[in-house]
Amino acid sequence: MNLFRSEEHARRWSGYRAEAAAGLLLLADAMDVMSVPRFRERLSGHYVSSAPASRPAFVERLKAVSRGDPFWDPTPR
Amino acid sequence: MPDPTQLDLTYDFILRTFVKHGQAPHFTDIGRAFGVSPDEGRRLLHDLMAAGLPNWLFPSTDLIVSFAPFNNVPTHYRISIDGQQKWFAQCGLESLAMSWLFPDKPILVEAPCLDCGEPVRVTVRNGVIEREDPRGIRFYVDVPLREWGANLPFA
Repeated sequence: MNLFRSEEHARRWSGYRAEAAAGLLLLADAMDVMSVPRFRERLSGHYVSSAPASRPAFVERLKAVSRGDPFWDPTPR
Repeated sequence: MPDPTQLDLTYDFILRTFVKHGQAPHFTDIGRAFGVSPDEGRRLLHDLMAAGLPNWLFPSTDLIVSFAPFNNVPTHYRISIDGQQKWFAQCGLESLAMSWLFPDKPILVEAPCLDCGEPVRVTVRNGVIEREDPRGIRFYVDVPLREWGANLPFA
């Protein structure tokens, strides 16, 4: 889970796998994913209790950002 | 809103300790914070770490390694606030979530690009990217989301 200077740098990295190309996100999209309540409300004082309820919004945001790519589907196969 | 559970309280104490000090508390600190014995503090820590959140201990110890979005062991994601670099992010993705813990502060994320070693710098305030250097930064993970839970440190 790393940041790269550009898409070219990410694709050139020794750990890059072409079959996992869907793991590439624009910085703005990554920020969008990390802006859902699951990450925004860690100081709420009720974080652990509310964590299960915050998961669907996280999954929906991932779906939207990735346009439904199965790489970002949390459901085990 | 119901009263917070003990898991909520333990989580909140650990997170706020990271925010303030840049380091995780020891279980004896947890015990002291809640007015219980060190052994009970240790139990509170292990109860929380078993809650299924992206937090983990060093294997076979009671020492916090990672507590999202922070890392207690230095990573290449260095976080600076007001010119002071004393925090490390768990990963590139969590580095972006750091700003929610420091309201109204510009959070500087600095890391070397794993391809070329040259710097990647992002400034985030209240969830807004104020600056990225160079422009065109990308996030990449090669592990599908459904496999993250099986081995979080690896993902």
